[in-house]
Amino acid sequence: MPGPETPEVLPDIEQDNQTDSRANLDAGFLVICWDDPVNLMDYVTHVFQTIFGWERKKAEHHMLEVHNNGKSVLTRESMEKAEFFVHQLQKYTLHATMERDSK
Amino acid sequence: MRLAEISGEKYFFDFSVEETDLLLFVLNDYPLVPEAHMRLRKKEDPEKHEDQKLLDDALRAQRVSNKQQLHSLLNEKDRFAAAEGGFRAGFVRGEIELLLQVLNDVRIGSWIALGSPDYDEEEKYVKDKKSLRFFITMQICGDFQSILLKALHGGPPPAKK
Repeated sequence: MPGPETPEVLPDIEQDNQTDSRANLDAGFLVICWDDPVNLMDYVTHVFQTIFGWERKKAEHHMLEVHNNGKSVLTRESMEKAEFFVHQLQKYTLHATMERDSK
Repeated sequence: MRLAEISGEKYFFDFSVEETDLLLFVLNDYPLVPEAHMRLRKKEDPEKHEDQKLLDDALRAQRVSNKQQLHSLLNEKDRFAAAEGGFRAGFVRGEIELLLQVLNDVRIGSWIALGSPDYDEEEKYVKDKKSLRFFITMQICGDFQSILLKALHGGPPPAKK
């Protein structure tokens, strides 16, 4: 405990600059695959299995969602991971995008 | 084209001479999807311009890498070995994935060039030799993709009669 003649040195209060990094890690982004009239259903199923490691049944479920509903939310991830998955899907020329989860 | 046998890690396909020519013909079109076609988000966000640029750069690099790998694969000595009725070529799983990516790029690129027709409307967009070429290329790529996918997921090849 400092004496009366010793100036009390207060620690610096650092600005919290972690907001962007935290947003990158928060699992708040949806990876969405959209329907189109050209990608083959078997191909879409195969790509889902390859990229996400899903069993065929789950991959087919999402493929049918894309086909019947116009889109399927494949996964909910941090921003960085969502970007990674979108890139992987687009390497296979699937119509995939990401968007912030509104929930 | 048909799956002839699976031996170890390799899938061996038999091609007729015409099928080999067709495969090389469509693969030669790669890459065909326009660079600006793939978007990170449905709605453009000016604040995320840098993210889109990163994706564009990554996809561009991927295309260059795929083209180099494809060139090596197709120009490898004895990759397409003479066989009865045509050729036999063996591919490991990674090479089949490469072929699937490339074929799909050419298929999608042909569809875009055709005018992005809706389901079962492709023929309506065929108006001249150029559009006919894109229409046929789409069909050929789809056929090759189906055979490769069936090989990967459809179990052992049928026994030779």
